[in-house]
Amino acid sequence: MADVAVSVKDLCIDYRNLAHISIHQSIMNPNALKKADVVHAVRGISFNVEKGEILGIIGRNGSGKSTLLKAVAGIFQPDSGTIETPGGRVSLMSIGVGFKPEITGRENIMTSGMLLGYTPEYTHNKMQEIIEFSELGDFIDRPVRTYSSGMYSKLTFAITAMLETDILLVDEVLSVGDEHFRKKSFAKMQELILDDNRTVLIVSHDIGTLRKLCTRVMWMHDGLIKEIGETDPVLDRYQEFMQ
Amino acid sequence: MLKRFLADLRKYNYFCWYSAKTDLKAEVANSYLNWVWWILEPLCNMLVYTFVFGSVFGSNQQYYPVFIYSGLLMWNFFSRTVTYSIKCVRMNRDIVTKVYVPKFTLLISNMLLNGIKLAIALCILAAMMLVFQVPLTPMIFVAIFVYLIMFIFAFGCSTILLHFGVFIDDLGYAIAILINMMFFMSGVFNDIATTVAAPFGQILANLNPMAFFISSMRGALLYGIMPDLRVLLDWAIISIALCVVGVRTIYKYENSYVKVV
Repeated sequence: MADVAVSVKDLCIDYRNLAHISIHQSIMNPNALKKADVVHAVRGISFNVEKGEILGIIGRNGSGKSTLLKAVAGIFQPDSGTIETPGGRVSLMSIGVGFKPEITGRENIMTSGMLLGYTPEYTHNKMQEIIEFSELGDFIDRPVRTYSSGMYSKLTFAITAMLETDILLVDEVLSVGDEHFRKKSFAKMQELILDDNRTVLIVSHDIGTLRKLCTRVMWMHDGLIKEIGETDPVLDRYQEFMQ
Repeated sequence: MLKRFLADLRKYNYFCWYSAKTDLKAEVANSYLNWVWWILEPLCNMLVYTFVFGSVFGSNQQYYPVFIYSGLLMWNFFSRTVTYSIKCVRMNRDIVTKVYVPKFTLLISNMLLNGIKLAIALCILAAMMLVFQVPLTPMIFVAIFVYLIMFIFAFGCSTILLHFGVFIDDLGYAIAILINMMFFMSGVFNDIATTVAAPFGQILANLNPMAFFISSMRGALLYGIMPDLRVLLDWAIISIALCVVGVRTIYKYENSYVKVV
């Protein structure tokens, strides 16, 4: 039995639909903050992911997959339940690590590294590797707002792939950039994922990819786990269900 | 909480500095006169106020241009920081929605940025003091101390506004008006305590924190006057209390900000 890298217990996450209110509303109706509509995105799920495991997460849009990943990454606080990540440093790979549009790609790499908790020296040493992988060339020294969406996601991918974290959360970024970069990133992804020490959670709608990569699959439906288990049987039933 | 706060400060120390530096660089790269603006802006404002209040209304304050410039610098720092804090989380939504970061570090980063601008402008102030032959006294250290308390006060106000700014859309408008009002009541271009009719002048000077900070700092720096230490201590305590409330609120609610922005 391997070590547990991620342990989720009775996790519930609600979205309160309060969004923005005005000063008038907040004065006239002090309960506005409490009374808002509640959307239950994740309602009471528990599972463990072992170290080195690759867990695919599938489900319809709005079934709570991305919310779950964000919670594991520590961006959301669970409304109830607990998430423990004894497996180490967590990073979420989704569209954009968190770029500042006004500053250059190179500076964004440094910023991302720092936000993930690496020392500037470490990020600095990885810099060349990241720039090469991202294939941005001269654009690396231009503000990120001038990037095309393809370049943007290439840089995102390169950063998360090169700044290696122990637990990798992947949210729909398996098809990035043009055909050439897609192949390259897929290969890199496989290399990262197949590392026995790394735990990976992938959210994707691409059944083919999940079949190739995952050791287990979790099927989420309306914020609950519908099934969790061996890759092929779960995916077969999911495909059947979606027909 | 204090332990966590200090640990976070240490952990995100690099991020704050780096982020301030790059933001500054981006600002510079986007404008024609770039960093000259940080000096030019308060300098031009000073000229306007000197003309309006010095020549038109006839103020007989000693070293009047230096008097205005020094007040303006402190005020600019405060108003920029507070104005930024309201939209802080929303402006950084790309980061906030992708990775966990203690939200007040975004604020600290902006304060560092304003601090760098301030430091450059202070060099000009030093030059102006030489030109106007303002005598240097050891009271300068008191002025630095007043600045420190002002930083804490600004941070305290901003952490609280940061929290409400996330949820309340039109807070920005209200604060803009408030800031504008406060500007005229803070004695940037006049000595509140003596020019406003008694007893309101004295009351305003002690109860409006920015008026108090500005007049204390200026008195110590330019005229070698010791500020009212009792009032200074009171404001220091209030400032720290504001910080505690603000940071605690942020820690408690920061993970729900993402769901709103």
